[in-house]
This record gives sequence, C-alpha cells and structure tokens, in this order.
Amino acid sequence: MALFAALAAIVFGAISKETPRERWIYGVKVFAEFMVIGLVLGWLLRFIP
Amino acid sequence: MDAERVEPTPSTAWLIGLAAWFLPGSGHLLLRKWGRAALMGGAVWVCFLVGLAMGGHLFYVNMEGATSFLQWPVVIQIPPMAADVGSGIPYIVCWLLDFGFRDDPAQAARATYEYGTTFLLIAGLLNYLTMLDAFDIAAGRKS
Repeated sequence: MALFAALAAIVFGAISKETPRERWIYGVKVFAEFMVIGLVLGWLLRFIP
Repeated sequence: MDAERVEPTPSTAWLIGLAAWFLPGSGHLLLRKWGRAALMGGAVWVCFLVGLAMGGHLFYVNMEGATSFLQWPVVIQIPPMAADVGSGIPYIVCWLLDFGFRDDPAQAARATYEYGTTFLLIAGLLNYLTMLDAFDIAAGRKS
C-alpha cells in the first residue's frame, strides 16, 4: 500500500501545481491521504464479516 | 469584433503524446524534462513491473463464448483493458509473449494476485496522466 501510495503521489505531485515546492507539498499530502484512508478503511472492513 | 484566438496544437505535441503512451517516460525525455521523465516514467515502470512480479492479471477483450461485443461478459472487460493498455509497450510485449493474460487458477490463488492486478491497472492509468502532461507541455499549455 505504501509503494502504491508513493507511486501515485509521485505522478500526482509531478503533474499538478506550479512550483517544485508546491509539488512536493502536494505529493506528500496525496501520499499521506492514501495511507490514512487505506488504514482507516482497512480497520473498518475488519469489523465487517 | 475580435473572436477569441485559438492556437492550433502543434503536430509535434501529438507525436510526443503518442511516444509518451508507447514508451512510458519517453514523452518527457523528448521534451528534455529529465526529472519528470525519471519520476513519472519510473513510477509507471515500477508500478507495472511490481504488478507483474506479484502475479497480476492483464486484461484483454476475450470473445470466447460471446456472439457480439454488446454482451455483458465482453463489455465488462473493456474498462480494465483500457486501463491496462495505457501502459503502452510493456502491455504490448506481455500480449505478444502471452504473459500475464492467462486465466490460470494457480496464479489467481497467489496472495498477491489482486494487488498485482491493481498495480497493473494503475500503471496504465498513471501513464495516461503522464502522456497528457507531456502533451500539454509540448502544446505549450503548461511549463
């Protein structure tokens, strides 16, 4: 999941925003969102039989 | 009254877009965007190769047992195939070598099968984004 999030964040970060700094921030944000949402969904699904 | 001027898209932009689809990362290489080529092309290649290593499945439209394209078992295969085709040459090479396309129960039983299939789909979709980015740069719509 971390690898998947990292690869998607790299591409999303590279194609968006104007400056390299904004791209870095956006890429890190996308990576964090993928990870957090993945972990939350994973825990939620654990309680669904 | 001046009509809004629409700049025509240069033909090289279409060629660069095609190259970017065909060989992931090559569009940005042609544009001399070395960093972007390494990052975006590299991400697509890694995603595709990891997907294959995990035993993922590549999709194509299998007409076996179907009489037309409009039947549900055929139609449902089109979206994942469209995503996989986005990978360009890696997909074509796998198709020519018949690697990753077979419905093999042993392959499907692998714990990483679904993850691998997702990686392969995402590799194609990421390459579509990479291709559009290269096209936009070549067309002068972004820097």
